[in-house]
Amino acid sequence: MTEPSVAPARRGPSVPDLLLALGVLLVGGLLLTGTLQIPFGINAAVGPRAFPLVVALGTLLLGLALLVAVLRGHRAEPAAEEDTDPGQPADLRPPGLILAGFLAGTLLLHPLGFVLGTAIMYVSVGYAYGERRLGLLVGVALAVALVTYVAFTRGLGLSLPPGLLRGVL
Amino acid sequence: MEALSALLAGFDTALTPMNLLWALIGVTLGTLVGVLPGIGPALTVALLLPVTAKLPPVSAFIMFAGIYYGGMFGGSTTSILLNTPGESSSIITALEGNRMARRGRAAAALATAAIGSFVAGTIGTILLTFAAPAIADVAVQIPPSAKFALMLLAFITISATFGGSPLRGLISLFFGLAIGLVGTDLQSGQARFTLGAPELLDGIEFVTVVIGLFAVGETLYVASRLRRGGASVIPLAGNARMNREDWRRSWKPWLRGTALGFPFGAVPAGGAEIPTFLSYTLEKKLSKHPEEFGQGAIEGVAGPEAANNAAAAGVLVPLLTLGLPTSATAAILLAAFQGYGLQPGPLLFVTSPELVWGLIASLYIGNVMLLALNLPLAPLWARLLLIPRPFLYAAILVFSTVGVYSLNNSVFDLYLLALFGLIGYGMRRFDFPVTPAIIGVVLGPAAESQFRTAVQASSGDFTVFLRQPLSAFILLLVLAALVVPQVLRWRARRTTA
Repeated sequence: MTEPSVAPARRGPSVPDLLLALGVLLVGGLLLTGTLQIPFGINAAVGPRAFPLVVALGTLLLGLALLVAVLRGHRAEPAAEEDTDPGQPADLRPPGLILAGFLAGTLLLHPLGFVLGTAIMYVSVGYAYGERRLGLLVGVALAVALVTYVAFTRGLGLSLPPGLLRGVL
Repeated sequence: MEALSALLAGFDTALTPMNLLWALIGVTLGTLVGVLPGIGPALTVALLLPVTAKLPPVSAFIMFAGIYYGGMFGGSTTSILLNTPGESSSIITALEGNRMARRGRAAAALATAAIGSFVAGTIGTILLTFAAPAIADVAVQIPPSAKFALMLLAFITISATFGGSPLRGLISLFFGLAIGLVGTDLQSGQARFTLGAPELLDGIEFVTVVIGLFAVGETLYVASRLRRGGASVIPLAGNARMNREDWRRSWKPWLRGTALGFPFGAVPAGGAEIPTFLSYTLEKKLSKHPEEFGQGAIEGVAGPEAANNAAAAGVLVPLLTLGLPTSATAAILLAAFQGYGLQPGPLLFVTSPELVWGLIASLYIGNVMLLALNLPLAPLWARLLLIPRPFLYAAILVFSTVGVYSLNNSVFDLYLLALFGLIGYGMRRFDFPVTPAIIGVVLGPAAESQFRTAVQASSGDFTVFLRQPLSAFILLLVLAALVVPQVLRWRARRTTA
């Protein structure tokens, strides 16, 4: 399951884990400031502030505990999922590509329409997952997007933006 | 018997041709998503919520129930043939079942998993049939303070007691609670944490959170560490079947696994992992062939698989009777109920008996359908494992987009989806469990409301939680759930050191 290789026995705090712990503390701090901006409710024994206050203080406390654990040398072990190879170093380019494709597709969802917008997302994921037969990938992307569009708008009565294909479909 | 006549009425509802069709669609979809990596029953139900908006609630829940049970059946196929557990409750099946498959006994491993799931699912559903109305009768009298204490107990057991790291589980829970706070406070009308965005006044749709954390997060994470050269799927020739010796060695583990699994699911105690591990240990102890364990012992597949499915049936007891979800899928079912304006809990049996009993009856029907789908069609499901990953994950992302967009026809929700996808990536990278966050989002607002109702009913006296005997007792359990595992861990470390 875990990789017995690399990493010497004793090591300093890991930087990503440290940033994460600080991030949790930051979220706790933001929650606390947000909580203090909520006005007290009237006519209520427990106002709208009480619960957020508990959540904010809890987050701060947990963030502190995580910080202590990380400083004592604890580091997170990345999850092993189906289809992943835990022994392999993480490559951030594929997820970056997927995210870029997703945001591009979202931006263009209304101007270009659902079919072309989600086809962009489909192609970006397929490419990031190593598919290099671009003609096939684009063809499948358009087919999947088109079938989904027709099935959901005609079959299930949902409304999805037609965009450029307005009037055609 | 009151429960029996109610159940018969439920079969009346569930056996209409339309509802049978929905059940069939549900179990088929459930098996499909159970088999496919990257997508599970929780995600599927969440994706289908917008689609089912036009369905009558009974039909929608019959389909959801089919997906829920079907996911359990399909998951074992992936574990056995691909050696990749989709969720922690399938780890044991992957361990022993994959060894069996590699020794050429894939058909027997799949069969004992499927038949064991059927036996456990059916017995679990029978127990649910009789336990649920009895618990609902008692639950009507639970005061708000004790309801809040119960939710607290669910929070703690799900996030802190049984996970790998209590700290990480709790952080995940608090993240979910914080997301649940966003939006207008229903009791006072105050806007909270909306950052001035009008889109956030209604709060964040839990569907967006679920799909972001599960589907988009998974797609991003797997992409960053994709296994080269594809998966090694063990080919399956012919149907899933067992010989006489397999039957002889399987039936007792099925029953013992069921007996372990159901109670663990029914009390909010951290899901299905524990009973599967317990069942495995028990079978290893009782077996006449302990040397086979770790090499592919059939008892090691039969027992844990039964425990897994019995726990799934057990989870429905607190969900239906108390409105307490104890797994991610249950949390989404709870939110689905709320989407229909229904509040699961003791009153549901009084106000919507047709729905509850139609749902329970459909569980019996779904189990039979799943057995029929899984034994002869096992080779067909196995072929799904060969779908090229680029096309599979791309399709999951597109369906996620449809699911989230069609909630409110809002592009803003898609940006939120990307954000939660990034967070989901981070949770996998830094080993945070996702389920506590989902439970926090769904149950957090309900917990807040019970808390405030309880304090208001006692005119601002916070000691109500300690003075009300039931609440005090449950709070004591909460404390024990927090402290006891730590002490045990500390003692274990001291004795090994």
